[in-house]
Amino acid sequence: MERVFDGICATEVESNEGEERLSAVTDEELVRKSKEDDERAFGELVSRYESKVYSLALRMVRNPEDAEDVLQDTFLRAYRGIKSFQGASTFSTWIYRITANSALMRLRKKQLPTVSIDNQEERETPVNIADFSPGPVEQLLNQELQHEMEEAIQSLPPEFRQVFVLRDLEEKSNAEVAEILDLSVAAVKSRLHRARLKVRNRLAGYFSENAKPKRRAMGAH
Amino acid sequence: MMLTCKEVLDSLSDYLDADMKEELVSEMKRHIGSCSDCRAEFDSLTMTLKLYKHEHAAEPTVMPVGCHDRLVKVLELEKLRSKGAPPPKMV
Repeated sequence: MERVFDGICATEVESNEGEERLSAVTDEELVRKSKEDDERAFGELVSRYESKVYSLALRMVRNPEDAEDVLQDTFLRAYRGIKSFQGASTFSTWIYRITANSALMRLRKKQLPTVSIDNQEERETPVNIADFSPGPVEQLLNQELQHEMEEAIQSLPPEFRQVFVLRDLEEKSNAEVAEILDLSVAAVKSRLHRARLKVRNRLAGYFSENAKPKRRAMGAH
Repeated sequence: MMLTCKEVLDSLSDYLDADMKEELVSEMKRHIGSCSDCRAEFDSLTMTLKLYKHEHAAEPTVMPVGCHDRLVKVLELEKLRSKGAPPPKMV
């Protein structure tokens, strides 16, 4: 089977034929060529974005198998939809949007039914933030705390996790996240704050539990 | 401008992200400096961000071996399917 989507092969072919190197072409131009059924151009877009898409997918779904499924689903959707891509946003924003939606669908399938997050008015009060341990991050980050953080992120409702991952782990701006997820900046900020508080509260529970034995030990003397 | 504790707590993320007007920043700083409850909230949220950002900075997100090839194969099959070609024989 001819591997026309393979970005590396495509670049070599272009170079050998003395044509314009696809690696030097802008995303906009590659999108235009892809709309004209130029599969090598689409292959170059795949090469440019597959690592970024995989990274976002992995951070959202939290396991490599599901992340690879999201990666494949994302580029399949992009391939099928490239002709209807209007270019109102950049290709980068568009591909991130497809990734975030694909990951969200996968997370929702795995989750039990929950109330709409926007109706939740829960008080984000931690167990006891007084126990929250200060100190150098490197010394606190033991395996148990890493596990607790992983659990905290996994327990975030999918819509919160989308914002949390894009904003705090992928380090997109509020405006970029709003565009990717088709939300207002105010909604992004609100979800981000609540997601951070949920993670904080989970860690506060961990620190509270771990502070008790120390207090008991201190009281015994 | 005086901020209530609720206003301070609701704005903690904006404050941490430096996404706030200058006059509000001064008032947040003043309030957090003088209110132990809000300071505890601020410190714990700051530490949370430090912890997971530090942890995830080192998180491996490299694509597994063979992942790119499997993606290319999926796209090649989709190309054949969309052009009405029969699926390749499985061996």
